[in-house]
Amino acid sequence: MTIGITTYLVYLAISIALTIWVARTLHKNGRVFLVDVFHGNESLADSVNHLLVVGFYLINFGYVSLALKLGYEVTTAQEGIEALSVKVGMVLLVLGGMHFFNLFIFSRMRRRSHGRQNNHPPVTPDAFTPVQQEA
Amino acid sequence: MLALTVLYDPECGLCRRAHEWLAEQTKHVELNFVPCASEEARKRFPQLNHDLSKKDLTLVGDDGAVYFGPKAWLMVLWSLTRYRDWSYRLARPELLPSTKRVVSMISQHRYQISRVAGING
Repeated sequence: MTIGITTYLVYLAISIALTIWVARTLHKNGRVFLVDVFHGNESLADSVNHLLVVGFYLINFGYVSLALKLGYEVTTAQEGIEALSVKVGMVLLVLGGMHFFNLFIFSRMRRRSHGRQNNHPPVTPDAFTPVQQEA
Repeated sequence: MLALTVLYDPECGLCRRAHEWLAEQTKHVELNFVPCASEEARKRFPQLNHDLSKKDLTLVGDDGAVYFGPKAWLMVLWSLTRYRDWSYRLARPELLPSTKRVVSMISQHRYQISRVAGING
């Protein structure tokens, strides 16, 4: 096995492991958020949570796959490790970006659902008048 | 607040059309429609200034809170499930003056608008 092939395999192993780890973390900790967003409707929260994780996997594996090709020859172990660090670094940044994007979506959903519960009239009354109760 | 009484102008085509549209919308708060300055309105709110309610849209909450003109329009928006967010947006300090201007203009020209739009009948 050449150093180039080894670099690719290590890159794939690290990227896939990282993606799975981040996705599982999101899945586990995002659930509480979503249950709150959907006012305790756990089955809906689980469903949305699962769909979000699927999207997360698709985008990240898509990126990992597209970014695989090095484009230059790797001949020594040092070059292999350097190439690996650049690739894995990019994957980490994309994962980080996706992670914050997910958090942003969660917090926005939460804010919206809480905003909808707002019961205060938008304006103050001009006056008050006695109301004749219907008999 | 669980219910609002809308004192609308039965002689204006635009208002009747708005009434029909509002009746179909899903609401957070119940809307009861009573023609302004009618016997029914006077019976329900004996101390309200009914001449003023003929000039512009007036809403009375079940707690007796009176909303007149632009505020009444915002309260109608607030009662609708789909437009509650808009009522808060339009009531923000930076937008409220524009909201009031536009709403007052529509209210004052409601007969002309009805005539132009051909919804007099």
